[in-house]
Amino acid sequence: MVRHLYVHLPFCASRCGYCAFVVEVGALEMRDAYLDGLCRELAAERSRLGELETVYLGGGTPTLMRPGRIARLLDAIRPSIADGAEISIEANPETVDRAAFDALRAAGVTRVSIGAQSFQPELLSALERGASADQVRRAVACATDAGFASVSIDLLFGIPGQTWRQLEADMAEVRALGVDHISWYELEIKPGTALARMGAEVPDEDWAADAYEMIVARLEDYGYRWYETANFARPGHECRHSIGYWSADDYLGIGVGAVSTVDGVRWRNSTALAAYLGEVTRAGTPGRTMESLDAGTRRRERWMLGLRLDQPLDIAWAGPPDHPEVIARLEAGGLLTTAAGRVSLTRRGRFVQNAVLHELMEYA
Amino acid sequence: MPQDLIRNFCIIAHIDHGKSTLADRILQLTGAVTDRDMREQILDSMDLERERGITIKAQAVRVFYTAADGKTYQLNLIDTPGHVDFSYEVSRSLAACEGALLVVDASQGIEAQTLANTYMAIEGDLELIPVLNKIDLPAADPELHGGAVAELIGVDPGSVLRISAKTGEGVREVLEAIVARIPPPHGDPSAPPRALIFDSVYDQYRGVVAFVRVFDGEFAKGDRLVAMQTGREVIAEEVGVMSPTMLPTGRLSAGESGYLVTGLKSVGDLKVGDTLTLSRHPAPEALAGYREVKPMVFCGLFPLDADDYPDLRDALEKLSLNDASLVWEPETSQALGFGFRCGFLGLLHMDIVRERLEREYNLELLATTPNVEYQLTTTSGEELAVRSPVDLPPPTNIESIREPYVRCTVLVPGDGVGAVMQLCQERRGHYVTMMPIEQRQQIVYDLPLAEIVTDFFDQLKSRTRGYASLDYELAGYRESPLVKLDILLAGDPVDALSMIVHKDLAYGRGKALVDRLRETIPRQLFEVPIQAAVGGRIVARETIKARRKDVLAKCYGGDISRKRKLLERQKEGKKRMKRVGSVEVPQEAFLSVLTLGSNPDSSRTRK
Repeated sequence: MVRHLYVHLPFCASRCGYCAFVVEVGALEMRDAYLDGLCRELAAERSRLGELETVYLGGGTPTLMRPGRIARLLDAIRPSIADGAEISIEANPETVDRAAFDALRAAGVTRVSIGAQSFQPELLSALERGASADQVRRAVACATDAGFASVSIDLLFGIPGQTWRQLEADMAEVRALGVDHISWYELEIKPGTALARMGAEVPDEDWAADAYEMIVARLEDYGYRWYETANFARPGHECRHSIGYWSADDYLGIGVGAVSTVDGVRWRNSTALAAYLGEVTRAGTPGRTMESLDAGTRRRERWMLGLRLDQPLDIAWAGPPDHPEVIARLEAGGLLTTAAGRVSLTRRGRFVQNAVLHELMEYA
Repeated sequence: MPQDLIRNFCIIAHIDHGKSTLADRILQLTGAVTDRDMREQILDSMDLERERGITIKAQAVRVFYTAADGKTYQLNLIDTPGHVDFSYEVSRSLAACEGALLVVDASQGIEAQTLANTYMAIEGDLELIPVLNKIDLPAADPELHGGAVAELIGVDPGSVLRISAKTGEGVREVLEAIVARIPPPHGDPSAPPRALIFDSVYDQYRGVVAFVRVFDGEFAKGDRLVAMQTGREVIAEEVGVMSPTMLPTGRLSAGESGYLVTGLKSVGDLKVGDTLTLSRHPAPEALAGYREVKPMVFCGLFPLDADDYPDLRDALEKLSLNDASLVWEPETSQALGFGFRCGFLGLLHMDIVRERLEREYNLELLATTPNVEYQLTTTSGEELAVRSPVDLPPPTNIESIREPYVRCTVLVPGDGVGAVMQLCQERRGHYVTMMPIEQRQQIVYDLPLAEIVTDFFDQLKSRTRGYASLDYELAGYRESPLVKLDILLAGDPVDALSMIVHKDLAYGRGKALVDRLRETIPRQLFEVPIQAAVGGRIVARETIKARRKDVLAKCYGGDISRKRKLLERQKEGKKRMKRVGSVEVPQEAFLSVLTLGSNPDSSRTRK
């Protein structure tokens, strides 16, 4: 039975320069119809749901649904939600205020993840973000005051044009805010995004490595645990929903473009809003592209995901690597450590996970 | 046909000066090909030749031409290869002729290769008919270039024909000149038959087809023949002429050119330059000028996928059927596994073979840096031929080493002389002479062949903005103080990267090579020292930094398949690299030595 539920809420005011997600710009008049669609898909999938330990409302800009619709959505899910469940929502700073956060709290949300990305006006505009640095600070303050169990912010580094000084300035802001959880990603320039069309380039490996190492060292210094490749938390504030992904747990995703993985089958829902709505209305479930995961693929995914975490990976659970003989060499080279049938990457190893994975496994 | 009505001739021309176009016009004008059948440049039959605009294999075409004197002549046009690698084949084609058209582009003038072939033709006593082609071009300067051509071969400038093979203007005059100026053959029809093999090709249905010029006597279908150099006996299963496709005639008489179908399985059995005679009525003496063609350039060819090794062997065997000058033997490299050390006539020949293996046999190959054959005397007095740096004995066992030299002739406009001389000096050249030809300088240097087989020609072209032309001929072996330069990756020598260099250049080459390797080899999981060593002494060192960051930034439920596929694509990229010890080396690294003379592309960034 599935214990993690993801709900995709695609509406956005505009598309950001780096965004390649399934989003729906404008079309706010569709929100009620979409909520109905979600409820239909949920009803159709109800039998797969066990006691939900986590629910994650992602987007898009979920907060554009306004608290009233979020409350109705969570009401619909509630019969499956376990006591003490983590219920997260992503929030864009320019779409929330204290009242909105209070309402979300009242609707049952326990964790809010605020998309800051940066506090530097030039970089926010390079990313085509809708919020100003002040709005970000205010949103974090409101969320903290509203009393959520955890408040997280998202940040980016490696933004085209970003200087070391700007990175340091973002770090100082993060330190001052003192949130419970931080996700700090290296910007990827994905095909089809505005940044890609502009021919933006990522910084070279050495700059990016310096930045990444600095981020890890400082945040650890400030009392955060580097519990996943790009995620940092004060003890007890790790995102349980995400840990589910990295532990290769099954999860159900509902909504347009949402992905599910259940019993070795992965599927993605229709990615166009109109198609999704038409299909759930007609059939209860949307159109889906299916991918069947064989044993080898699942084993390679468990390694790919599991090594992202700082917690050791249990080899017996994950299944043996394709090249067990290289473990000793990697260990001698200071990239990983083994103990009692468990393997974990060293600090250096975590920065070069892909290269380590290619030594251990045959991704082909 | 009486010999006084036969003319055997060939065309000497630089690449792009219009040899094939003129040949086409001659075929059209004599009615050998109808306009409807006319395929552009019909003599170049292989795609590869067509693409490169050059002719590799010589062929002979017979046409009939009724001249102004009212008589009908048999003209045999014998095609010649157009590249220095095939100069021996050119010499045999010339030997089959009494005359040659010397075709020069009226806008470009004489080039180095034309010069070399012209000297060869003069030496062989051929009647030369100078022809200025492309007079329709605006840049044509027939006065200047016509005068120079006349001076070169010592004729009256008024005898230089001016034509445009493209428009057909003047082509009839060329045919009249062939009839009037080129002497007819005068073989002895009753003597024991002798025919010169000037080309041979392998056809999978007919076996080896030899292209021959009959000097004496007559050959008929069914005759039992013997190749006088190899002693090989063979039946003439079919006898005929190219017209321009195969036309059986039953016999070939003194003075004529044509083909013999033999049913043999390999062109190695009927070698270019050999003399065919009759078994039952053999000639006492072979025709002069036979030479065993020796490969000059060697490189290792390794399948990128080790499983393709048997396929590579099959492909080499098949190519050898049609290419007697290609030699190969199995080679094992610690770095590259099982492959073959192959010998070629020259760099172009090497490129052609490699391309055919990849294209026609669908093989992915890794080629090592080309090198030459060294002769050495060991301290125990033994004589060795070394075709691979790996086979070089330790220095303490070497008494002396000799390397092949070539005499290079470069033609270049006056303002390029400095650049050419500098290049030749850098490549250990010895100055021989310099003299003006037309408005250019002819510079002659003796150079080690090893210095030519890397990027000499590319450098020559780029340093003279494309104006220099090059020809060379072998000029014997000379003793040189040569040493083996080893390359170590992560402390282990990589045999496929070793090279033999002059000891004074070892430091510079070693440094340039490790620099280039540092540019070419991507960062790895661990730091990789690259060292160049001579006799155990490190002469240069660079380090490929270890990777510092190689992670998937973000990976949530919706990303997992995409991220896994990203790893799969990365893996595909790695497959195109060769794993040497613990280091992944891209293919181009093995050819780094080839480009040592040029500046590395500093704008390239690594991700």
